[in-house]
Amino acid sequence: MDKKLGVYICGGCSIGDSLDLDKVSEVATKEYKVEICKTHPFLCGKEGAQLIAKDIEDGVNTVVIAACSPRAQQEIFSYDSGVVLERVNLREHVVWSHTPQDENTQMLAEDYLRMGLAKAQKVFPAEPYQEAIDKTILVVGGGISGMTSAVEAAKAGYEVCLVEKSPSLGGWMSKLYKQYPKHPPYQQLEDTGIEAKIKEVEGNPRIKVFTGAEIEKTSGAPGMFDVLVKQNGNQTSLRIGSIIQATGFRPYEANNLDHLGFGKYPDVITNFQMEELAQQGKIKRPSDGKEVESVAFIQCAGQRDENHLPYCSSFCCLTSLKQALYVTEKNTDASVYILYKDIRTPAQYEDFYKRVQEEQAVFFTKGEVEGISEGGGCLTVEVEDTLLGEKIGINADLVVLAVGIVPNSMPEEAKKATAEAESSGEKCEEAAERAADSGFYASPALQLKYRQGPELPTLKYGFPDSHFICFPYETRRTGIYSTGCVRQPEDSATCIDDATGAALKAIQCVEQSSKGMAVHPRTWDQTYPDLFMQRCTQCKRCTEECPFGMYDEDEKFNPLPNPTRCRRCAICMGSCPERIISFKDYSVDIISSMLKAVEVPEEDEEKPRVIAFLCENDAYPALDVAGINRLTYNPYVRVIPVRCLGSINIVWIADALSKGIDGIIMIGCNYGDDYQCHFIKGSELANYRMEKVQETLQRLVLESERIEVWQLSISEYDKLPKIFDDFLETIERVGPNPYKDF
Amino acid sequence: MNNRDLIKPDSNFTKEVIGLGGESLKKCFQCSTCSVVCTLSPDDKPFPRKEMLWAQWGLKDRLLGDPDIWLCHQCNDCTVHCPRDAGPGNVLAALRNYSFGHYANPAFLGKAFRNPKYLPLLLLFPVVLFLILLGATGNLTIPEGEIVFEHFMPHIILDPVFLVLTGLIFVIVAMSLSRFWRDMKKSTGSPKSSITDIISGSAISKLIEFLQHKKFYECGSSRIRMLSHMAIFYGCMSFALVTASVFIGTYTVGLELPMAQYHPLKIIANLGAIAVITGCLLIIVRRLSAGKATGNSSYLDWNLVILILIVTSLGILTEVLRLADLATAAYVLYFIHLVLVFYGIAYFPYSKLAHILYRSLAILYADSNNMGGKKTLSPKPRKIRDSEIEI
Repeated sequence: MDKKLGVYICGGCSIGDSLDLDKVSEVATKEYKVEICKTHPFLCGKEGAQLIAKDIEDGVNTVVIAACSPRAQQEIFSYDSGVVLERVNLREHVVWSHTPQDENTQMLAEDYLRMGLAKAQKVFPAEPYQEAIDKTILVVGGGISGMTSAVEAAKAGYEVCLVEKSPSLGGWMSKLYKQYPKHPPYQQLEDTGIEAKIKEVEGNPRIKVFTGAEIEKTSGAPGMFDVLVKQNGNQTSLRIGSIIQATGFRPYEANNLDHLGFGKYPDVITNFQMEELAQQGKIKRPSDGKEVESVAFIQCAGQRDENHLPYCSSFCCLTSLKQALYVTEKNTDASVYILYKDIRTPAQYEDFYKRVQEEQAVFFTKGEVEGISEGGGCLTVEVEDTLLGEKIGINADLVVLAVGIVPNSMPEEAKKATAEAESSGEKCEEAAERAADSGFYASPALQLKYRQGPELPTLKYGFPDSHFICFPYETRRTGIYSTGCVRQPEDSATCIDDATGAALKAIQCVEQSSKGMAVHPRTWDQTYPDLFMQRCTQCKRCTEECPFGMYDEDEKFNPLPNPTRCRRCAICMGSCPERIISFKDYSVDIISSMLKAVEVPEEDEEKPRVIAFLCENDAYPALDVAGINRLTYNPYVRVIPVRCLGSINIVWIADALSKGIDGIIMIGCNYGDDYQCHFIKGSELANYRMEKVQETLQRLVLESERIEVWQLSISEYDKLPKIFDDFLETIERVGPNPYKDF
Repeated sequence: MNNRDLIKPDSNFTKEVIGLGGESLKKCFQCSTCSVVCTLSPDDKPFPRKEMLWAQWGLKDRLLGDPDIWLCHQCNDCTVHCPRDAGPGNVLAALRNYSFGHYANPAFLGKAFRNPKYLPLLLLFPVVLFLILLGATGNLTIPEGEIVFEHFMPHIILDPVFLVLTGLIFVIVAMSLSRFWRDMKKSTGSPKSSITDIISGSAISKLIEFLQHKKFYECGSSRIRMLSHMAIFYGCMSFALVTASVFIGTYTVGLELPMAQYHPLKIIANLGAIAVITGCLLIIVRRLSAGKATGNSSYLDWNLVILILIVTSLGILTEVLRLADLATAAYVLYFIHLVLVFYGIAYFPYSKLAHILYRSLAILYADSNNMGGKKTLSPKPRKIRDSEIEI
C-alpha cells in the first residue's frame, strides 16, 4: 500500500494562540516532505471535518490530526478501516499544560508532530483474523449458575451445550430444604424453585444437556474450541465458540474444625448436613434421634480465619438465620442460639435478619467459641468475648457449624510438584517450577490443551484470577468466563445475576471473534501479533509471559499463536529479545522511529529530554485530565503512549539512551494482589524487566537514576506534574547524557 | 465450665417485658448508639445497651437487680436515635414496671394490678369496704343540713382504716425494697452495700439533687416533662403536708373541718391541686401526641397519671359542690374520691408510684458503689486506623 499522508493542524481550543502554527506546519512540509498539510481554526467543526473527508476521497490514506487528545472527538475523527489515523495531542499535553508562546512549548509541539509523522509512516491498516465462526456456548456445571447462563444464552438465540458432572442437574440448590426469602418483603422462607429451572433447561431446544459427563479435553481458541465430552463411556466432540465455567464450590472440610467438636461429637454437624436433617421432617439429633430442643449455630466456622478460610463465604449468616426458622417452625418450644463474628446480611436481606430477630426463641450474640464439651445429655458451647461482656456457656442438643465454601477450582490437595504439562510435553520437574498462578494448581474442569496449563489460572484462595474491580467475568483465558461460586462466594440470587452477565460476556466473545476483533478490553482492535518466525530463537519468553496463554508451542518450542485468544496487550512484543513480534499499528520499529524523531538539543543548550512511556489505560488519560485542569509541568518530557507497560521492549531504552535522551520514565498501573493492570501482569513484568535493564545501563556506562518506573491509578492525575518535575530534577543532578553529541 | 456461667434464657420473661411496653426489644442489634447518646449513662458499663441484650435473652435476675434501669429518667434520646427502632427507653420503662409487681408481695396482687381486666375487681374492694363501714355506723344515707363530710364519713372511722392500711403497705414496701436491695447486691457484687454506709454517704446530696430534679434537667430533651413532674411532685407533697397537719390538728388543737377558704392549709392544698392537675394534663397531652421522644404509654403509665388526675379533680370538685351546697352530688363524689385514695394507697407497692422508692434506692446504691459515674461528654471522635478495619 502506498502511503499518502495528510496532516491537519487545528488552531482551536487556544492551540493557535499558544503556538506558531506555521512553524509547526513546516515540520511536516519541510522535514517530512508531506504534500498535504492544512491548518484550520476549528477542525472538529463541520467545515474542518469536511476538509479531511474531501482529502480522503481524493486519495489520502493516512491522516495525521494534530489537535486534541486521541480520547476526545472520536466520533468526528473516525474513518474507514482502510484509513490509518494518527492523533497528535497538542491540546491536553502541550498548550493546556505549558507556557504559551514559549520556545520550549513550541519545541514540544513540533516534536510531537515529528513523532506522530514517524509513526504514521509505518502504520498500516489492520487485516482482521476472521477464522473463528462457531458461536455455540459451552456451559460447564449444571447448578443454578450454569443453568441460568445456559437459559440466558439460549434465550438470546445461541446454541448451548451444558455439561454436568453429576447424574442430574440442580447442584447444591437441589439439596436445600428451603431457601431464604428472595422476594419482598423478605419475610418468609421460600421453596428453592430449582425443579422449574431444571425443566426450563431440559425443555429448551437450544440447550443440549450432558449429565454424568466430564470434559476430557479442550483445545483451540475462542470461536474454534474443540471440546471432547465423555458421557457414559461415550465421547462426543463439540465445536464451541466460548465457554462459561460454573463449576461451583464444595463446603469447607469440617474435619479440619476439630476444635469445634466436629468428628468428635455426633451432634456437631455442618449447615449442609442441617439441610438434610430438615428434609426428614422433625429435626432429630444424630446421636440418639431425640427431637432437638435447643440448637446452637456457630457462624464463621473456619471463615475469616487465616488458618482455615481467610475470606467471608457470603451466605452462611443468611443460611443460619434460615435454619433457625427451620428449628422454631418445626418445634415451637425449641431455642436457637446464633453465635457470630458479625451478622452479614447485605442489602434487602437485612429485612430477613430483622424478621428472625423478632423470633421469641432465637438468641443472638457475638462471640468467639472457645470449645465444645459433652455432658448431661447435651453439648455445652463455651463462648468468649460475648456481647454480655463475659464468658458464657450454652447448652444445646445440636450444634450447627456454619461452614464456608471453597471454589471447586481449588485442588483438593497441592499436586503442585507433580503436575504434568501435557500440552507442552514438559517433565514434572519443570512443571514444579511454574509460578503459583500457572493453572496447574486448579482442579480439573476444562482440561485445556494450553501451553500454560490445563485450567484457569487462580489468584487468591484458589479462585480463578480476574480483574475483580473492572472486568470481573474475564479470566486469564480469553473466551472462558467464570461465574457463580467458583468465581467468588455468592448466594443463589447473586449467582443468577452473575450467570446472566457471564452469558452476555460469552456472547460478546463469539461475536467479537467472528469479526476478528479483540474481546476485551481493546474491543475495537482488529490487529493481532504477527511473528517473523525465521528469526525466532525458541526462547519461550512470549509463550511463558503472555498473561492469557495465547501461545501454544510445537515440539521444537516454536510459538504457535492463537489470535482469538489474544487481548492485544503486546506483552509478548515487550518480551521478545529478537523483536520479531509486531502489530500493524504497534511494533518495536514504530516506537523506535518515534524515539528517533525526537530532536535532542545539544548539551550546551541546557534543554534536557525525557521520554515518558505512559500506559494508555490509566496514566495517559490521567495526563489528559491534568491538562484539562491546567496543571503545568516542565516542557522537556515527550510522552509515548503504550498499550501496556508490559509491551515496552528493552531495546527502546537502549535506542533512546544512545540517542542522547537524558532519562526515561515509565508509568503504569498498580500491580500485586490487588492489581489494576488491565492486562494483569503487564505492569509487574515491566517493573521486573527494568530491574534487569541495569545491565544495559552498565554497558553504556550510565547512571541507574536515568530510569524510573511508577505505578499510578487514573484518579491520581494531580501527582503527574510532580512526578515529571522531580524526575527532571534528578536528571539535572545526574547531568546530561554523555551520548548527546555523538 | 463453671455452672454459674451457663446461660439459660427465659423467653417467658421476655414476652412479659414486651407486653409491658418493651415491644420492640427484639430489634436491637447491639450497635450501642443508645449508650453513646444517653447523657446519664456512665462511661463504665454503660446502659441501656447491656440491658437490651439481657432483655432479649430473658436474663431476668440480672435485669431486676440492675440499678441502671432506675438511673434512666426516660428522656428517650436513645429511642429517638436508635437506628433499629428497638426503643431502649421503652424497654427500661417496661422493666421498671415489671419490677413493681415482681418485688411486692403478694405476687398475685402485682399480676392483677398490671392487668386492666382486674381493675373493676380491685376498685370493688374499697367500695364494698366503705359501704360496710358506712352501713355499720348507720351513715348510709345522705346527711341533712349543711354539708360537712365529717357527718357522712367521720374521721374516727376513716383514720383507723387508713392508718392500718398505711402500716400494712409500709411492711409490704419494706419487704419489697429489701428484696430489691439483695438482688442488686447479688447481681452487681458490689462490696459497699450496708444501708448505713450509703445513707450516711450521699443521701443528703442526692436528696437535694432530686428536689431540684437535677437528673431530669440533664436529660435536656424534654424540659416540659421535667416541669410537669415537678408540678405533680410538689403538689402531692402539699397534699401530704396538709393531710398530716389536719390529722395532727384535729386530735391536738381540735381543728374544725371544713376549714375556711382563707385558712393557710386550705390555700396550700388548693394551690397544690392546681399544680397537680396542670402537671397531669401536660403529661396526658404529651403522651397522646405520641412520638418516639414520648415513648410508649403502657397501661401502668396511664393508670397512674389518670388516677392522680381524677383523685385531685374529685377533691376540688367536691369542694366546689360543697360550697355550692349540692349535697347529694358532693357526698357521692366524696365517696368516690375516698375509694380512689384508698386504691392509690392500697396498691401503691404494685403501681408506678413506687418508682419513687426504687429509684431513690437504686440511685443511692449506684452512687455509693461508684456505678453511676460521670459520663465524659462530647468526646473527640477518634480516627479509626486502617489496620482496625477488618474487611
